[in-house]
This record gives sequence, C-alpha cells and structure tokens, in this order.
Amino acid sequence: MSQHVDNSITPRPIDCHTTVRRLWDYLDEELDAERFAEVEAHVADCSGCAEHFAFSRHFLSAVATSWQAAPSSDALKSAVVARLAKEGFGQG
Amino acid sequence: MTPLHADRDADFEREALACLPDVARFARSLTRDPTAADDLVQETFLLAYKGYASFRAGENVRRWLFSICHHSWLRIAQREKRLVLTTDGEDAELETLGAVMGHVAAQRSGLDQFVTSIDVGPAISAAIETLAPPFRAVVMLVDVDGASYDEAAAVLDVPVGTIRSRLFRARRLLQEQLFDHARDLGVTRASTSASVSRSVSDANSTARESRP
Repeated sequence: MSQHVDNSITPRPIDCHTTVRRLWDYLDEELDAERFAEVEAHVADCSGCAEHFAFSRHFLSAVATSWQAAPSSDALKSAVVARLAKEGFGQG
Repeated sequence: MTPLHADRDADFEREALACLPDVARFARSLTRDPTAADDLVQETFLLAYKGYASFRAGENVRRWLFSICHHSWLRIAQREKRLVLTTDGEDAELETLGAVMGHVAAQRSGLDQFVTSIDVGPAISAAIETLAPPFRAVVMLVDVDGASYDEAAAVLDVPVGTIRSRLFRARRLLQEQLFDHARDLGVTRASTSASVSRSVSDANSTARESRP
C-alpha cells in the first residue's frame, strides 16, 4: 500500500510515545495518510525514534528473507497432480 | 477431454499449480513437519480443484489457496486434537511498545548492533518455528509473503485487530529470541565494538593489499 501524502498540509506534531506506538503500522504502510505523515515528520527530526525505526525495518527485512527457500519439490508436484488426476484433472 | 474441461484444467495448472511452492512453504510453516506438510498441500490442491468453479477470475489465487490450506490444517488439527488454542496477543500497541523497549535494552548492551551486522536468517527461521501456530501463520502471511492486514485477516478468517495483535506479539517474541541468541553467543557492547573495529580493519587491509 503506498501512501500519498499531501505535502501542502503540515503534519500535526506528535510525541515520541505516539510515534513508536505506530511503528509497525507505519512500516507495514497500514496507516492512513495523515497519521503516516505525522510519523514521517517526527522520525525525520528525532534521532532516537529514527534508530528504532531503522532497526525495526532491518528486522522486518531479515524476517522476509529468512524463509525464501521453498520446500517444495518435483516429487511433491507429481504427487499433487497424481491425486488430482483421480478427480479427472488432465483427463477431460 | 472436453474443450471446457481442458480449458479449466489448463487454467488451474497455470494459475493454481504455479503457486505450489508458496503453498508448500505456508503448509510447512503451519505443520512444522515435512510429511504432514506434503499431505496438507495435496489436500489443499484437491479441494481447490474441486472448488475451482467457485473461484472468481481476478481474485488473488494464492491468497485463495492459502485460505483453503489454513482451513484444512485447522480441520485436521482439531480432529487430531493437536491444536492448542492460545491467547491472542495483548493490546497491539502495547506489544509494539514492548518491542521498542526490548530494542532500548539491546542498544544498551550492544546486542542490536550484532543483530544488524550478521546474517540472522537462520536464527530467525529457527525462532519462527518456535512460535505457536496462530502467530507463525500471521508472520508467514504478512512478513514473509507480503500480505496486507486485510488480506491476512481474510485468509485466516479472523478480524483485522486479531491480525495486528498476533503479528505485533510475534515480532516482539522473535526479537527477544534474536537478542537471546546474540547473548548466548557471548555478545557484549565491548565484543561488538571490537568485532566492528576488526571488520573495518580487515576491510582496510584488504583494500591496501588490492592496490596495484
């Protein structure tokens, strides 16, 4: 989900507590545009919060790539196709 | 083979069977057992094939397969009474704060630098395996497969709020396990600094040696 922020509106200032409570929603791009902009503006000016967000972004990236290797095999596909064939798959 | 069935089967092979590696990975994350995962994958595709007529063109076929896979797994687990019902995460935002506080503590000890300086993929995979199934499933859908909260809620047939609370709790637990892993390896602020310094020194030496 991409955020389209209206840059003509200055985001309402928010404190660190509010910012970090939105950490995961922000990184997952699940905030509405207004709240997204509020977090973005705060993190741009707050080194402490920026460190939390940078670490969490790195963590999510590591999680995303930790399970990339698919455990499937040709044997599994053959077994699936054979089972489907009993239901008429590929036979009309 | 009638043309109608031939078309349907060709569509199914192109659209659904192409997702087999993703479904296998999801099934493996649910069952944590290769044999059980393979059985679940076969059951999933069998049900999908039987119900393919109800699949609406334009829908996300992978999410549809994940949903079938999850429901099949729930049915099997409940039948075998292996499903341990766990509480959902606490308040989602409290879980977020918990993760941040964990990071603050890790910053003090230097564990956070270690976590970001090495390949933690294997440690994360191992940590995901230890999560309870409801938490593991949401991590796989959102963090690994890239589903939105709404999409994950549709697959798992739970409210979006439940997805958030489970996901945020799972992430906090995973981070705690990573920090524990680093601590078990004897990482301290001093050793992290030394390691970073050594890496910089090694890099500089390599650069000097490679100069003509």
